[in-house]
Amino acid sequence: MVLRYINLWTAFFKNSLTRDMEFKMNFIGDLFIDTIFYGSMYFFWSIIFSYVDVLGDFNQQAVIIFLIVMYLTDTVFVFFFGSNTFTLNTMVVKGELDFVLIKPVNSQFFLSLRYVSSYAIVSFVILFFLLLKLLYDYHGQFYFMDLIIFIISFTMGILIFYCIEFIISCLVFWYRNFSVGGWLSSEMTKYSRRPDSIYKGKFRRIVFSVFPMAMITSVPARTLIFGPDIYLLSTQFLVTIVFLCLTRLIWIRGVKLYESASS
Amino acid sequence: MISIAIKYISVLRMNWIQALEYRANALVGVIAIMSGLFIEYQIWSLIFKAKGYETVKNFEFNELIVFIFLSIIIGQLKSSWHSSGEMIRAIRTGEINKYLIRPVSYFWYHFMMFIGFNSLYYIVYTLILIGFVFIFPGMIFNSFSTVLYFLPALFISIYISYCIYFIMICFAFWFGEVRSLVVSYNLAMLILSGQYIPIRFFPENILNIINWTPIRYLVDFPVSIATSLLTKQEIYNGFVLAIFWCLVLSIVGSFIYKLGIRDYEAYGS
Repeated sequence: MVLRYINLWTAFFKNSLTRDMEFKMNFIGDLFIDTIFYGSMYFFWSIIFSYVDVLGDFNQQAVIIFLIVMYLTDTVFVFFFGSNTFTLNTMVVKGELDFVLIKPVNSQFFLSLRYVSSYAIVSFVILFFLLLKLLYDYHGQFYFMDLIIFIISFTMGILIFYCIEFIISCLVFWYRNFSVGGWLSSEMTKYSRRPDSIYKGKFRRIVFSVFPMAMITSVPARTLIFGPDIYLLSTQFLVTIVFLCLTRLIWIRGVKLYESASS
Repeated sequence: MISIAIKYISVLRMNWIQALEYRANALVGVIAIMSGLFIEYQIWSLIFKAKGYETVKNFEFNELIVFIFLSIIIGQLKSSWHSSGEMIRAIRTGEINKYLIRPVSYFWYHFMMFIGFNSLYYIVYTLILIGFVFIFPGMIFNSFSTVLYFLPALFISIYISYCIYFIMICFAFWFGEVRSLVVSYNLAMLILSGQYIPIRFFPENILNIINWTPIRYLVDFPVSIATSLLTKQEIYNGFVLAIFWCLVLSIVGSFIYKLGIRDYEAYGS
């Protein structure tokens, strides 16, 4: 069963890579967008740090590591899910979801992973080596155990990111047309693009629980910068499980509401 | 002249009606403003507390937050994800043909679409601003003259922004797909136009460059007028330069469009 889905994803990847190679300008264009995004975020934080030395627990060096982890999260998310989640709106509006539902494969799997953004591999490789260099500069050595725990926490962060995007895109089943889903999602996940130390009081508790934005990037980044925190990691694990179950439930409920109106 | 005006106002009206159909967009727009403001509030309150600042670059904390609040609003009003996407698609798929054979200007038709599509935001954000003026008197629009200066500055900001989009979109005549250029521009402008940090906070060398570009007139100029940061002389000088940029960008846009149409092969149609 698992092997079958791995083979299926490999086929998706090969197909997407062929498509991306057909349109090389898009491939280069997407890399260009990433570069601008990374550059503008770096510029933003460099201005902030011209007025302050430390933001809560994070000094400038730690924020740069946080930024690289954030870029990596974004890159890996885009690689697997970026081209898929918000196609659901068009599919529901046009009734094209029928073609997904009748396939002999898990429809959520198919819809979430059908297209792979292969250009993200280039960004990923560059960012990963940059992260290793920054970590070495920060600690003066590598903590391999932290790196392994980081990878686990990072994966959970990506899954939470996916769940939030997917849940928002599923709102189309209730609203019939929810074309602003992508915008809403980017506004929601904006909270994950800032170090958690800027959030105070009750809101801080919220971003670590019911609205788990700090779980997406901050917890993995904290693992690398300050070392693993068992409490945070176990909370992240719990939140991931809850959100995955919630995503599944919302998908099943949404598909029941789907009327295939335009097909 | 009147018939031309009626023609384009009809386009505006059509898009206005369409925009009113999707009222959820306005709700998401308000969420976008509030969430952006909330994050900036968190960051700057931490900075003011940590360093014990009374002011940063002559901004008190409240003044800074109000400035960012207005900047986010203006930043959204001048942005175009939807209209620019439609225009690129029209060139790539050959849909632009229908504009070429009709007595309409491609530039003005889409300008009206741009305003029409954003009209729902104009209504909602105006209500927010009116509410803000009454709830926090003295923070913005201190006098009636600031309102009078602000409105043309806002219009110029939207026009300059549209001209820049138009120029970028015209490159689709040669490259087919320029979506990445427009998206990159949008992302860069979130920061560079001062939507999240006032451009006065930028390093001197970058600010000097920005002052020589139309970027200054996208967000900073109208917001500075609304918050009474500019003297009358600075406002007049600003308007002269902003109108100069409107002319330059209109001429460049029209020139590139003409070149593009000459090379256009309608291969998608």
